[in-house]
Amino acid sequence: MNERHIVSSFDRDLEAVQALIVKMGGLVEQAIIDAAKSLELRDEELAEQVRRNDARIDALEEQANEEVARVIALRAPMGTDLRVVLSVMKISANLERIGDYAKNIAKRTSVLVQLQQIEGTSAALRRMAKEVETMLKDALDAYIHSDAELAQDIRMRDHDVDQMYNALFREFLTFMMEDPRNITACMHLHFIAKNIERMGDHVTSICEQVIYYVTGEAPEDARPKGDKTAYDLTGA
Amino acid sequence: MNDMRLLERDVDTNDIKIAARDVQVYYGDTHAIKDVNVDIADNTVTAFIGPSGCGKTTFLRCMNRMNDTIDIARVEGVIKIDDEDIYDKNVDPVQLRAKVGMVFQKPNPFPKSIYDNVAYGPKIHGLAKNKAELDDIVENALRRGAIWDEVKDRLQEPGTGLSGGQQQRLCIARAVATEPEVLLMDEPCSALDPIATAQIEELIDELRQNYSVVIVTHSMQQAARVSQKTAFFHLGNLVEYGSTGDIFTNPQDPRTESYITGRIG
Repeated sequence: MNERHIVSSFDRDLEAVQALIVKMGGLVEQAIIDAAKSLELRDEELAEQVRRNDARIDALEEQANEEVARVIALRAPMGTDLRVVLSVMKISANLERIGDYAKNIAKRTSVLVQLQQIEGTSAALRRMAKEVETMLKDALDAYIHSDAELAQDIRMRDHDVDQMYNALFREFLTFMMEDPRNITACMHLHFIAKNIERMGDHVTSICEQVIYYVTGEAPEDARPKGDKTAYDLTGA
Repeated sequence: MNDMRLLERDVDTNDIKIAARDVQVYYGDTHAIKDVNVDIADNTVTAFIGPSGCGKTTFLRCMNRMNDTIDIARVEGVIKIDDEDIYDKNVDPVQLRAKVGMVFQKPNPFPKSIYDNVAYGPKIHGLAKNKAELDDIVENALRRGAIWDEVKDRLQEPGTGLSGGQQQRLCIARAVATEPEVLLMDEPCSALDPIATAQIEELIDELRQNYSVVIVTHSMQQAARVSQKTAFFHLGNLVEYGSTGDIFTNPQDPRTESYITGRIG
């Protein structure tokens, strides 16, 4: 909807809450990239920076919630406007969670640098993180341009992330069975992979919010669920 | 998507109380209502919303033939209440208006006592055989108007001496005293403060048990609060008609969307 409101301050309020999402999104993208980079380069300082920066994301989420509550109380938004503020509230919660996962990756990185490196896995994790980060970037683009079709495409891409997670899960199992001394590192790496996989789920949820606010309806088809490890039998 | 509306918001019935087909209204050369088709359910609050001059009040006034009193107004099409054409020449407009009550924007009590305000309708329609019966009808109507407790000790005082909110509830009591089946309300709260508005809205919800209520309102918040169905009028057309929850969260017509979000006036 490109028409302006009769009360122009209403437009400014709505733009302000939406700007918060864009700002948060930028910080969260950076957090994913930096967390993956710190893991691959075993860069403790960068990891520490990711942990510190998470506070800014949390603060923005709080601000978004307050602004949304204010708009609802003062403007009583309806139709698209209502859907916009509701989606801002949910998307900011999703972004905040993604930020937490990035922070958790950074924490585990600080531990991992003190352990024997497991060959090849950090590059795979970086690829996976890169994929999620691209999905998030596209999801935010879909949000800014109110593009429900793009959002639907991204939603389907989460399947790839799940596949990558499944492959890594098996790899970690193999490493741990080969040499029990790998267990500590592999447990941490596995949690990192799981964190990235969960980030993908949150990006998917953001896409669903975009679809809802653009079309007025939540997507009906079930999202393809690719993480089958919950049913895996070890050593099978 | 699953219907998340609260249960009490559900429309309890699919019985159609008022059916309008191809209704046109002209004021002289002005075509005020264009091809309106609508089914209004029984035991339901239906809100008419739309910008000033969109025809919502004109259409409301068609339903008890109030437009008959305007010389240059001409109504075409069919409006049926309980399957009976209200514009049939055998229908007495006075009897019709006893069945289809109306409450106006400005409270307009008669310059009579509170008691007589309510007793007037039942008296002229011969609904009471004696004084005791009339007393019962008056008490009952005032109770349904949610004003009994405030006026029971001063029934002989003039109705015009009440506060604005009380006067409006007195007018609602007067409207329900003749046992109407449909209650038309033309911006019943626009002259009232928020407390009186809340009392009237509570009352409207209770009245829904027994009547089909149609309310014209400029307050979209009010339409959203009190109604189960909402109709949006624009430039004499009925643009969209649907459940209130859908109209206010996900309207299908861009004109409805623009109006409810405050983009056209």
